Amino acid sequence: MNKIRIYGRTEYPGKVTAEALVSPAPLEGFTNVDSARGYTTERNHPLFKVCYTDKILVYPSPRGSGGFMGYATGAKPAAFLHTEGCPLSVAAAAAARIPSMTDFDVDPCVVIETGDTVFVNADEGYVEIVKKL
Amino acid sequence: MIDVKLTDEERQMLQGERGLVPRLCMEWLVEMCQIAGTDTIVELDGTGDFHTPWTSMTFHHDFSLEELKKLADSGARFKIPTFANKSPFTEMSPVHGWEGCDMRCKSGGGRRFDDPVFHEQSMHAEFYAEFRKMGMLQTHSCASYLTAGFLPTIGQHCSWNESSAIPYCNAVLGARTNIDGSFATCFLGKAPYYDMHVTENRYATVLVDSERLIHTDTEWDLLGFTIGEDCGLAVPCITGTAKPTTTQFCKLNAAMNTGGSIRMYHIPGSTPEAPSVEAAFGGKAPARRVVIGERELRATYEKLNYHTTDIVDMVYLGCPHLNAVDLMLLARKLEGKRVKVPLWIMTAPWLYDVARNQGFLETFEKAGAKLMDGTCPAAMGGVPDYVNCVAVDSAKQSYYITGCYPDDDRRLEVCYGTQDDCVEAALTGKWNGEWRG
Repeated sequence: MNKIRIYGRTEYPGKVTAEALVSPAPLEGFTNVDSARGYTTERNHPLFKVCYTDKILVYPSPRGSGGFMGYATGAKPAAFLHTEGCPLSVAAAAAARIPSMTDFDVDPCVVIETGDTVFVNADEGYVEIVKKL
Repeated sequence: MIDVKLTDEERQMLQGERGLVPRLCMEWLVEMCQIAGTDTIVELDGTGDFHTPWTSMTFHHDFSLEELKKLADSGARFKIPTFANKSPFTEMSPVHGWEGCDMRCKSGGGRRFDDPVFHEQSMHAEFYAEFRKMGMLQTHSCASYLTAGFLPTIGQHCSWNESSAIPYCNAVLGARTNIDGSFATCFLGKAPYYDMHVTENRYATVLVDSERLIHTDTEWDLLGFTIGEDCGLAVPCITGTAKPTTTQFCKLNAAMNTGGSIRMYHIPGSTPEAPSVEAAFGGKAPARRVVIGERELRATYEKLNYHTTDIVDMVYLGCPHLNAVDLMLLARKLEGKRVKVPLWIMTAPWLYDVARNQGFLETFEKAGAKLMDGTCPAAMGGVPDYVNCVAVDSAKQSYYITGCYPDDDRRLEVCYGTQDDCVEAALTGKWNGEWRG
């Protein structure tokens, strides 16, 4: 089976394989995330109430409140992969202590689709993607 | 992982030679540097704030009252002037004005914010007795800079923690902060050196042209959300506006950090690091130019309005918290009037006595409005149970409050408009706001 490998910068180390959930829009925390149930509650968001728990959560960038940390507690994803980072994603990686990567050679939001199987090797700085059939 | 550069003293702290708390704080700091991709720690010479008493010595170490007391009694002090952000976690009760607010606290097991016993417990006074020994100033506001009485100056390195406050520090004051204010940064007087601490990252990359003159509070609010959604994490240089007031800076900052994550921006002629457009870009060409006009502002207005009914059950004003002049102007609008539906007015706790002494509180009370402080409906977890539609004049509050009600069996509608629209809604119980481009 063909694997696509992309390289990025490790924020938090670790290895995990799981199914990807890709957000086409930035993610926002505070009241717009339900960390107990593991989904965004932002109105009109494409992932409204779609559970990210134990998934590889792929998103373009964080936005909004310091409450972005809500994605890093409770029913957490298995890993964070994001196109661009800022201090909100730094804090989330530190709080979640799950594999987290950014600054890729290829935009993960373009190359990864929801349902793909993704191996995150944040120890060695790469991600392998097996496309869903 | 990155090898973070440490002084001898920092290394001793990391190895536990200065005690448990310095070790835990240094471990946190080094981990944050590694995640952020920097090998450098910056010494803070400005101010700090963090959410209290949510005892975030680190993300992974709960700070017990006994530990805090032991630390404070040992003579330990915050290294920088340190302020309390918002009313105490996790309940986030109003510090004043909670009586009769008629609302349950979701995080308090359904107990009521207007229960005096619950209120007293939610103030966590025993923690603040210790924090005060260490030098904390209990401002308890997301806009604590409004009442701090001591602000960082140009170029000073800070550690603040509130998305709407970050650009006040960076863009308006010209000081430097990331959103990392915590017990550890304030206790150590140190923070990871990256993002907005670094001069190169503070230059504009996107030129924002406004096709119409931005001058009302609501226009600044709409502009902020629109820029946030468009610019994301970039540093915009905003042109084509009037000179913003303090209130308008606050609205712009809160809205920008709801639509996006704008930690820094320039308004040539108004913000200290941009005497000109050229200076804002550090002599480089803009990577992108964005034009925001009537169409874009109206689209944001429509997005922030989220209602099918014009029957308003409650009105909320004070996101970000109202300053002293805002309170004065609002009292003027309510003089001799009487609200038909509850009107909550939120300010910073250190302005509550100012409102009382100036007579604003009496005016609000005579009008049937409630002056409260330190928190907001979103922070409190929603609105009173009887409210199906709330009117607000804040992009931030509009966009967050519905997140408290994602389920079909209990949705909340939001009317968004000017403060005058909201006051009228409070007086009549009906929404007559509309786009008035």
